[in-house]
Amino acid sequence: MNDHPCPSFHHRQSAHCESGVVANLIYREGIDLSEAMAFGVGRGLFFGYFPFIRINGLPLVTYRGVAGQIIKQFGRLPGCSVHQQRFGDRDRAMAELDGALAAGRAVGLQTGVFWLPYFPRALRFHFNAHNLVVYGKQGDDYLVSDPVFPEPVRCPAADLARARFASGALAPRGKMYTITVDPAVFSCRPHIEAAIGGVCRLMLASPLPLIGIKGMRFLAGRLVRWPHRLGRERAVLHLGHIVRMQEEIGTGGAGFRFMFAAFLQESADLLGAERLSDCSKALIQAGDGWRRFAAMAARICKERRQPGDSWEALADQLRGCAAREETVFQDLRRWSKGPR
Amino acid sequence: MAMDSSHPSREPDINDGLRIINYRADSDGRCRRHQGYGWQPVNIVNHQAWQEIEKQIGAAKRRIAAGTASCLYYYMIANQMSPALLARYTDQPSWLVRLHLRPFVFKRLGRATLQKYADVFQVAPADLAAGELKAPIYQSR
Repeated sequence: MNDHPCPSFHHRQSAHCESGVVANLIYREGIDLSEAMAFGVGRGLFFGYFPFIRINGLPLVTYRGVAGQIIKQFGRLPGCSVHQQRFGDRDRAMAELDGALAAGRAVGLQTGVFWLPYFPRALRFHFNAHNLVVYGKQGDDYLVSDPVFPEPVRCPAADLARARFASGALAPRGKMYTITVDPAVFSCRPHIEAAIGGVCRLMLASPLPLIGIKGMRFLAGRLVRWPHRLGRERAVLHLGHIVRMQEEIGTGGAGFRFMFAAFLQESADLLGAERLSDCSKALIQAGDGWRRFAAMAARICKERRQPGDSWEALADQLRGCAAREETVFQDLRRWSKGPR
Repeated sequence: MAMDSSHPSREPDINDGLRIINYRADSDGRCRRHQGYGWQPVNIVNHQAWQEIEKQIGAAKRRIAAGTASCLYYYMIANQMSPALLARYTDQPSWLVRLHLRPFVFKRLGRATLQKYADVFQVAPADLAAGELKAPIYQSR
């Protein structure tokens, strides 16, 4: 591992790819930033149900902000600059990556999971918004710090090029980014309040019925009718898809609610704000609700129903999550606006 | 809340034993990072998704055996693609890809077009021409 100008990278395994990449890239610049803090300040939490966008023929449900959201937010913070590029040409994109590596940089990439050979077989879907860090090249292999893996991995150049130019929804178009931080200026602390306010706005006050708390209620209404509209088989596939989006690799469990709760807790300690700590606990309750939803959904998918399991009960569970989160975010909104 | 169901299962799962990070509330009410295998409900729904894909692959093979689809159809389905996605990967209009799914048209494809498909599916053009059904990309290594 020593014949390259940038052979080492402090790899920290993370729950979610984008917050993990941002936290690790900033950590490399000499600032101790946790994944949860990156996720929170990057305003990662979200809910959206977009039936008109299809992933493998199933409607998009997302529990986090659009891909690239956290990176974009960090690019706006003083003392932190993000240099981001997309490419039309594959060879140029790879040459540019090699150039950045030769200059001793660690580079963040957006990739399509399907084309990454080191991924477990079962996770290789056409999902194009997976972030990872490339920190070196040895022979034909790139040295990759993929935040969801316990250790750094290697990826052959041809496969990485394919992954960078995956097609379909959220196509990365070779997106690569580097982060530079001025440690004298940069601090997350002054931005916590605005970040929480921003998340609350999206969760509570979106004009679209598909977003935030309204989106959860909308989905609950739709979900009840799936068995009649789609037939049992398709309905179960749709339901399984929701749970996969909520719990699959890179969600930190409970559709990112636990990760955001960890951020609130860390912020509470940092700012000495007891109220944030209470909100964190309330959000954990909401996260538990999501997990009960997932558990019941999985039982329905597997035809292992317990007494009380039904599509109506699932919708109620979802509405319960919406109600709990509504209270949490209203409280957080008051905190972010109010005097302390 | 039943605490058992919130803990990741201890057995290696569908992720080939990959240990992932999850945030989970500890008994003191604080969320912390934990490393573990997947959670049982997730494994169930992941498994379900793969069963569906395998069902589709089975159906595709039957169609090819019956002569109503070209082997391109198998490769497309096995690699979880739609004609539109395959069209984007091969830089062609999607109606053309749909046409190539018919055995009659597929048999008459030129070498350059076969090469395009072979590159995407990481097989030899000869395999495609011979109608051989090789494993999808995610299983070949």
